[in-house]
Amino acid sequence: MNYDSDDALDRALFALPLEEPPADLRAAILTATAFRPAPLFNPWEIVLLGTIVAIALWLGAVIVMGGSNLFVESVEKIGGLLNEAFGNLTTLAWIAAGGATALWLSIFTGFQSPAKGTFTPRR
Amino acid sequence: MSAVLAERRRVATVYSEPDDGQLVAMTLGGNPEAFATLVARYDRAVYHLAFRTLHDVEEAKDATQEAFFKAYRSLRTFKTGAKFSTWIFSIVYHACCDRLNRRKRYSNEELPERADPGPGPEREAIALDEARRLRAAIDALPEKYRTVITLYHLQGKQYEEIAEVLGLPMGTVKTHLFRAKEQLRKLLNAEEVTE
Repeated sequence: MNYDSDDALDRALFALPLEEPPADLRAAILTATAFRPAPLFNPWEIVLLGTIVAIALWLGAVIVMGGSNLFVESVEKIGGLLNEAFGNLTTLAWIAAGGATALWLSIFTGFQSPAKGTFTPRR
Repeated sequence: MSAVLAERRRVATVYSEPDDGQLVAMTLGGNPEAFATLVARYDRAVYHLAFRTLHDVEEAKDATQEAFFKAYRSLRTFKTGAKFSTWIFSIVYHACCDRLNRRKRYSNEELPERADPGPGPEREAIALDEARRLRAAIDALPEKYRTVITLYHLQGKQYEEIAEVLGLPMGTVKTHLFRAKEQLRKLLNAEEVTE
């Protein structure tokens, strides 16, 4: 076939079939994107589980090393500190003020224009 | 009669395929099937561009996957009114450029300027043979011309879209396309003379 004219070459180029992709390509793309399986745990769940496991290990280690007295003392000390902190009216007042501010900030949306940042499909 | 036509039009509107922008919006709205439709629409063309640029099945497959993954993750940044095809081609083209740069960095050998088209199968049909000849000639073009001609071939992309995908001025795209076609013509006609 002769390709002297631009039209002949264009016709031949547009008639050229596209490369056939590997059979598993589409499935691989979808598994990595839209149909990605949900993770077993959320990040906050992993942190919580990690903390619980760490505390359990520490307690186990304290008991195995014969430090049951140390454990009781630690618990009493922590309990005493908490009691002291939350028994103080000033501390409670500050916690209440902080909580109220956080709640107000979470409700406050600012003065942004409602149309900004919203997606409208092309017609 | 006009009522029948109006009803037909209404049914056609209801059941017509959503456009790419609507599919993006549907995906963002939590419909994974919409993204699957986008993948079905463009995976072949995206793979074609990757394969023509990289000349390697596995690398082209990886680049295609990477492009769709990036597109999915940054779907919220997709501009309203933009063309999804131009966007996804641009992503895959940049993924291919990264891979080519990595290849150049880690390979001691100079990359071949011209791909060896190989002897090819025996002629089975004239159309198949022409396609093989044309592909071999495209493969023999320098990379910058090959990409422009591949994009031009992909659903006949316009100059503006090719320029957007490649991040080049439109004048450069026009020059590249002109030279690419010129070289293609020379290669194909020279092959014809020697055959």
